[in-house]
Amino acid sequence: MIVTTMTDPFVQTDPTAMIGIGEYRVGSFRMASIGLGSCIGLTLFSPEQKVGAMVHIMLPESSGRTDRPGKYADTAIPLLLNELSTLGVRKGSIICKIAGGATMFEAFSASMNIGQRNIEKVKKILAEQNLRLVSEDVGGKMGRSVYFTPQENGKVLVRLANGSSREI
Amino acid sequence: MSLSDIQKDALQELGNIGAAHAATTLSQMLNSPVEMSVPKVIAVDIAKLSEYIGEDPSAMVAFELQGEIPHGGYVIWYLSRDSAIRITNTMLGMTDTDRPFNEMDESALREVGNIMVSAYLDGTAELLGFVMLPSPPSLVIDMAHAAMQSLIAQMAEEINEVFLFRTDLTCLEHKIDSDIILMPENSSLHKMLNLLEEMMKPPV
Repeated sequence: MIVTTMTDPFVQTDPTAMIGIGEYRVGSFRMASIGLGSCIGLTLFSPEQKVGAMVHIMLPESSGRTDRPGKYADTAIPLLLNELSTLGVRKGSIICKIAGGATMFEAFSASMNIGQRNIEKVKKILAEQNLRLVSEDVGGKMGRSVYFTPQENGKVLVRLANGSSREI
Repeated sequence: MSLSDIQKDALQELGNIGAAHAATTLSQMLNSPVEMSVPKVIAVDIAKLSEYIGEDPSAMVAFELQGEIPHGGYVIWYLSRDSAIRITNTMLGMTDTDRPFNEMDESALREVGNIMVSAYLDGTAELLGFVMLPSPPSLVIDMAHAAMQSLIAQMAEEINEVFLFRTDLTCLEHKIDSDIILMPENSSLHKMLNLLEEMMKPPV
């Protein structure tokens, strides 16, 4: 009998990279961020190369902080662009999608409204960088989980707490 | 910020006293015994929050801490969606668990949360002589991680790590499983640590 230690190709051991608050990944594997409230899940995808990047942004402005660039809209977007360009992705080919930016605690956040500020800042920077925002599911009061599959033409699936989901 | 073992023990004791007060009130309201876990104080990197708080549909009753420190952090009473329905059924004398939340459920959850969290903070104030007052309750029925993340994003201080004082409160009779979580801002945490240190000094 031949004993092999090779991984069984039919068993997917780690099919999805979980991206926590302030984290980002670049590649062609499946990525996900669960439970976005006021945070934003941003995906960049190159249909030419079937490669993408995803980041879980928590706040609009870094105000000079550099320790976690993925946490802030103003540092996260240039970072992802840079990562993709080192993989040879042409900037003009990139398409972007965003989800999140909800306001879950109206009573507490009335004066701060971080979800809305996150949405506005992300959109502003995408526009400044001449990046194409092709689809979005933002705002409202509901939490979202986001699944990004570069292999399926950059498909982005948004799921809500009640189990319903939609592609954006 | 890292905590010494002694500091951790002291904070755990503080959590213990608060949670014991909350457990007593919950038990009185349900008229049934409530079991309490050993309170834990854990430092959680925000990037790893999902390992502690998942995306399952949950009810979260959240309170902002006010008082001596105006934005002192948050206290959250966290229940699975099913536990939340069972608790309001128990209180309102209903049995159907397969139903959407209505206004009565929501107001009952806010009220029970309010009583428990007030008792929790009474307990900690008694020990420390440091008053943290709860804001009016805010209820969210949604993904737990999304709710916690939203609270963390609006914390006054920029942080990469949160300290969670977490105690599990369960009622076997009514199959209710809930957590009470205190998430202080660094300013309140320092204040608590200073006060606890004072208390542990040997008398002169």
